[in-house]
Amino acid sequence: MNTEKRKGQLKKMFSKVVDPLGYKFSSDEELVDFLLEQEVNIEKEKGSPFCPCQGLTGEREHDMKLVCPCIPFHREHYDAMKRCWCGLYVHKNVEDPDNLMQISLQEFLESKNRK
Amino acid sequence: MEKYPFFCDLTGVYMNREKRWIFAIKEDEMADGDKKPLLLEGEKVLLLRKDGDFFAISNKCPHMECPLSKGTLEGHVIKCPCHDWRFDIRSGEFLDAKEIKVPFYETSIMEGSVFVNVEGAGK
Amino acid sequence: MKKVVMYTLSTCPWCMRAKKFFREHDIPFEYTDYDKADDETKRAIKEDCLEHGSEMSFPFVKIGDEVVVGYNPEKYAKLLEL
Ligand code: FES
Repeated sequence: MNTEKRKGQLKKMFSKVVDPLGYKFSSDEELVDFLLEQEVNIEKEKGSPFCPCQGLTGEREHDMKLVCPCIPFHREHYDAMKRCWCGLYVHKNVEDPDNLMQISLQEFLESKNRK
Repeated sequence: MEKYPFFCDLTGVYMNREKRWIFAIKEDEMADGDKKPLLLEGEKVLLLRKDGDFFAISNKCPHMECPLSKGTLEGHVIKCPCHDWRFDIRSGEFLDAKEIKVPFYETSIMEGSVFVNVEGAGK
Repeated sequence: MKKVVMYTLSTCPWCMRAKKFFREHDIPFEYTDYDKADDETKRAIKEDCLEHGSEMSFPFVKIGDEVVVGYNPEKYAKLLEL
């Protein structure tokens, strides 16, 4: 299937998935387009549109939690950043995605434990 | 499950206000733990029988639309064959994020036949 | 100058931005693309990531003895005293 068409399909399917979770696609269109393109290529190579910014290990249980949108499996961490790790999705009320930082899981857990 | 929620019109479709009960299968055609993909009024529906009860959900996984009929049923939880998302067949809820649901339908049994309310998806 | 070593993915825009940051500041760095690496390298990278509490999230940047997971130019600059 042609890449542009598949990108559109993924976008449509994933919008429906992330909406009830309180997320939307980032308004950084260039970033969204780049990430979707990576996902389509990854899907062609590996069979599923895995996150382009997280590493697969070959263990099914680990890797399946990295199929886009992976928000359900990293909810608290992503909610704290108001974005997913790769920045494809942001909280619905985010206007300017450039201000959102990547916070490592370890940092997130430490700050959570301090509270 | 409602017992006799409908009256019969002349077309064989059972009606009751906003409900539209469509005949799905004979009760004795499914054993406990069975899954049966059906096309009801153009909708891809998955009928399941568990502990004597019948459950009907959409056969399309809300993630990427893989057929849940090819997944595995354990207890009341069906696991999608594609990326292992798990759903409770009693509510349609995705176990890892309850806000996401696979549409589910009411079922009803009358005189050995199983009916599905195709108007009721997701409610 | 502290040594900069990075684990990255060839598909990850934040990894590209991290590389760009170091290039723009004339900081030499080494990097390995985890997704393109052989199995043995992959295993070593995985171990290193897990040791630092990172669930294989990239970029994984080592500056001297410190580790920064994610694209964070402020932290990079601070550790390099830029
Ligand atoms: S399509 Fe069902 S889990 Fe992905």
